[in-house]
Amino acid sequence: MANDLQLPVFTNTSEQEVSGKWGMVIDQDLCTGCQACVAACSMENNVPFVGEEDANYGRSMHWIRIERFWSGTFPEVKMTPYQPMLCQQCHNAPCEPVCPVFASVHSASEDTNLQVYNRCVGTRYCANNCPYQVRVFNWRDYTDARARPWLTSLQNQLSPDVTVRRRGVMEKCTFCIQRIHQAEQVAASENRSIADGDVTPACAQACPADAIVFGRIDDPNSRVSQAALNARGYHQLDELRTTPRITYLHGASNGSNG
Amino acid sequence: MSPEISRRDFLKLASVGAATTAALTGCGPASRYVTREPYVKMPEYNYNGLSTYYATTCRECSAGCGLVIRTFQGRALKVEGNRDHPVNMGKTCPRGQITLQGLYNPDRVTDPLHRKQRGSNDGEKMDWDAAVQVVTDALTHNQPNEVAFLLGMTPDHLFDMVSDMTKAMGAPAPIRYGAPAMFESRATLVQAAQTVFGQAALPSFDIGGADLVVSFGANFLEPWLSQVSQTRGYRNLRQGTPNHRGLFVQFESRMSQTASKADEWIPNKPGTEAVLALAMGRIIAEARGLPLPPAFATADVNQAASQADINADDLKRLATILGNAQRPLVIPGGQALAQSNGLQTAQAILSLNAFLGNLGKAGGVYLSPIAPLEDAYHRPASAKEMADFVGTLKKGAVKVLFVHGVNPLFELPKSLSFADALKNVPQVISFATFPDETALEADYVFPDHHGLESWGYQKVATGSNASVLSGAQPVVSPFHNTKATVDLLLAASQAAGGQIASALPFKDELEYIQSKLSTMLSNANGFFTAPEINSFTAYFQQHGGWWSTGDDRLAPTAADALNANIGASVSQFDGDGEFFLLPFVSPTLAEGGANKPWLQELGDPTTTVMWNTWIEMNPQKADEMGIQDNDIVTIVSPFGALEAPVYRYPAIRPDTIAIPFGQGHTAYGQFAAKRGVNPVDLLPQKYNEAGDLAYAGVKVHVQKTGRARKLSKMEGVLGVYGFDAKQ
Amino acid sequence: MARRFFNALNQPLGRIGVFIALLAVFSGVVWGIVQTQKPPEQPIQFPHNLHVGLGIQCLYCHSGALRGPSPGIPTETKCWGCHQQIPIQGTELPKLAAYVENDKPISWVPVAQVPDFVHFVHRPHIAAGLNCENCHGNVAGMTVYQNPQVINMGWCLKCHRQKAQDNPVLYAKLTDCGTCHY
Repeated sequence: MANDLQLPVFTNTSEQEVSGKWGMVIDQDLCTGCQACVAACSMENNVPFVGEEDANYGRSMHWIRIERFWSGTFPEVKMTPYQPMLCQQCHNAPCEPVCPVFASVHSASEDTNLQVYNRCVGTRYCANNCPYQVRVFNWRDYTDARARPWLTSLQNQLSPDVTVRRRGVMEKCTFCIQRIHQAEQVAASENRSIADGDVTPACAQACPADAIVFGRIDDPNSRVSQAALNARGYHQLDELRTTPRITYLHGASNGSNG
Repeated sequence: MSPEISRRDFLKLASVGAATTAALTGCGPASRYVTREPYVKMPEYNYNGLSTYYATTCRECSAGCGLVIRTFQGRALKVEGNRDHPVNMGKTCPRGQITLQGLYNPDRVTDPLHRKQRGSNDGEKMDWDAAVQVVTDALTHNQPNEVAFLLGMTPDHLFDMVSDMTKAMGAPAPIRYGAPAMFESRATLVQAAQTVFGQAALPSFDIGGADLVVSFGANFLEPWLSQVSQTRGYRNLRQGTPNHRGLFVQFESRMSQTASKADEWIPNKPGTEAVLALAMGRIIAEARGLPLPPAFATADVNQAASQADINADDLKRLATILGNAQRPLVIPGGQALAQSNGLQTAQAILSLNAFLGNLGKAGGVYLSPIAPLEDAYHRPASAKEMADFVGTLKKGAVKVLFVHGVNPLFELPKSLSFADALKNVPQVISFATFPDETALEADYVFPDHHGLESWGYQKVATGSNASVLSGAQPVVSPFHNTKATVDLLLAASQAAGGQIASALPFKDELEYIQSKLSTMLSNANGFFTAPEINSFTAYFQQHGGWWSTGDDRLAPTAADALNANIGASVSQFDGDGEFFLLPFVSPTLAEGGANKPWLQELGDPTTTVMWNTWIEMNPQKADEMGIQDNDIVTIVSPFGALEAPVYRYPAIRPDTIAIPFGQGHTAYGQFAAKRGVNPVDLLPQKYNEAGDLAYAGVKVHVQKTGRARKLSKMEGVLGVYGFDAKQ
Repeated sequence: MARRFFNALNQPLGRIGVFIALLAVFSGVVWGIVQTQKPPEQPIQFPHNLHVGLGIQCLYCHSGALRGPSPGIPTETKCWGCHQQIPIQGTELPKLAAYVENDKPISWVPVAQVPDFVHFVHRPHIAAGLNCENCHGNVAGMTVYQNPQVINMGWCLKCHRQKAQDNPVLYAKLTDCGTCHY
């Protein structure tokens, strides 16, 4: 099939491309689909809610969402293990080359995908090219009190560490980069490098099943690197060679729902 | 584009426009005109420009999870779990995270109100002195037995204070109720523990220590007793023991969020859990070559399987696995207890545990620790007791009703007609933080602070090995002109004088809480001790509560459990409809989340539906009836009817329909009101022998209406273009 | 309509008209930029020069700069801690006394401002050995604070590039979009 279309074949062999810096492991065997990560992410990152009508158009703004799929029919019906889906922070990110204004760029220092809100002009090319469908677009001024005056009191909760995005801007998971920076600053002031466990994104912090592990994947001894060695590990849509930084662990290895 | 403009011209025009726009928007930050107001008096433990963190207790449900709230310049920004807290160990559920949208909810009751006409939206604002006078008059101008308090599951310090007050007055003790208690069937669990173990305590299931969990309808990964601690147990079940993944089997007529995590989901017919449990006991006893205990003697394996509409071989296979497991655990809960035979089901399952020999052992059944300040576990009122209370109200025996933390107009089955009962109460005083249905029917609303603005404590009923008193403190100053209900009642007690005033000689809420805490100073089991009350209170605030360092769970004994004939049979159903009705608590909203917009926008874990109520129906059955997704159907039970769109749910029995509880508010703020339907409208006045509502004990008719309403859901509409996968 | 507009462009008068229109837009832009760079009206004409002249350290009042993103504005209790011992005189001190007496917060207008989509954090800059005056100028010579230069991204990057020119890892970090924009 790929030969028929004469698609270019991506190769990624360099050491740095494989190692990366920040990474995550999500254990689908543990994820109970409870949505605590979604809630925590939205509260941490000033993610707006869009309301029933816009949600019906698929405009909801979740930076992380829980997916599940079905197979079979009753009574032989099976649900796949819950699959938290968020920006995979690909090294070969399909969203990056298509941005005409360089708003979707790769961070050279943190090795994550960035979305620069002040550059973004809202072409939505990046979202269209994202195989994981994890980029969300501000179709309206969801957080602007001038547009939605009834929300004024809710704005007291907005975090000053994260930009409040405006209409026409694309956004996505940042691996809680504000927390990474803060941990780096604390470590620098204590004259040490970042230790394993210094950075916990909001989703991993909230997860009641502890299904999400985050840390440095360039450190082979970190908890996340060790967890990624698990035989159940795989990458989402690995065949696209996007080099995602999130390793999923297959759920229910000896169960019928797997 | 007008044909008169060529593409080239258009581009020229566009580039001029773009340059102008760029130049104008480049003029500088819009925040230029923002002003910044520093603290007038900054708390001295704050650091200018840095966040301050406060430990407190979540009030979204009664589990009593410890929270640490990040605040900045007097605003609460983020909820995090308290890592040291033995219930949640640093973790939270979605409702805990979104409690901030309750604190800053635009629809809060901002001032004390006097409502001239019940049910009308506008009330007259009062000042708090007048409010104290109203409460004082209500306490003094009525006979003590004409005063009634109806309280919610949280907070416990208010319940204790009202208990002290009513005792001093000679009034009836406050009644505690909440929809969660109804859906959790707490009375049934406690009654079954009394019968089987001889102790009326809440059983505690060590999910994390087991290697095989068989759950009969227990939704322990959803809002059921203590979701966060049970999810931690689930984690340990799967991965707590290296290289040994514990197994999990769920019997339930619908694949709930919990059942979706099971290795095997067995869709049994509702109401057959008791006979299944006893049949499993019989199979194990026979396989082990033991004399058949009387409890299992009447069980018939093949009959049980056919009654439950499951494969007898499956039942035998699972029973064999259960019998061979090293640390087996069987959990009763959910719809299994909400049947006419719910008590027998709970007894059968606890007896099965006793037979498997897991009582008081790792991975087995314990009794939950008794919380500090308690002599025993005091459960909230069962639905039967609520029905009796509603009867008292109907007779006009109550002249003034105080309501706090509970919304009976929404939570009680409509067939109990609480609304009519309320008409016979001359004065209703609500302490609601949000304008819920009951507050709308109250003559006065004296709003309490939000949980994050409040002092308090919560006695942890279950979910921890240790005995825990979870502490709450204000993390921000009150956002509106609200007053702590304890403060209001203390002021009114002092004004009333006499017995009440001398029984409650406290100047404010904190002093009352300290009077309770002072009994714990010398308790050496705690992880901290203090020589005097002020230091103790300081530690209590700092750590978010007090808990013991040991394992305070009690090991139950069941000497005679297996000698009794439980006499379980299949449950009886009201109504002659073709479908079993299965109401379940919405995993994201629970009973009080509907007014928080982000909770509304969380997709339901199994269906991904947001912002509305749906009816789950088996797709094959729906095909037979010609029902598509989003088609609105009418559900008719003998007690009521409602309309909602259908979600064709692949994992539900064809003879069952399920509907979530949590929506269907008529008030409760802009995000909740007039959204979805409330399944309690369909529920019978039928109780099991422990007095819990048999909410899953009704059969209903389903009729097409010919109308449709598209449900908002995550699945099928992903991506920025919002395409529908089916088109 | 558009056709007529382009025809008009071919006439001298039309071109002059367009020129005047563009000039008007340009002047408007210049006026707008000038407006944004003017120091805003403050509720109290706070004399920084006097306080710095007395030897009070910047961090005494703006202590957050040492540990966090925002240096913070001192609370009234901090002002009043000294000023209650000093005679209330002149034009500005009575204003402070009035704020304190009425328990009202002072609505300061921030001057050294970055847009919402920029997250400037003081802490690493101080950790890197910068002093306050490197960016904020000679505050000892100002009454109400004014920015000594235009605070924009070019100015930030100029310094970032210079500081990191010998260290590729630091260069990547200091010129990374995600260091300030998130």
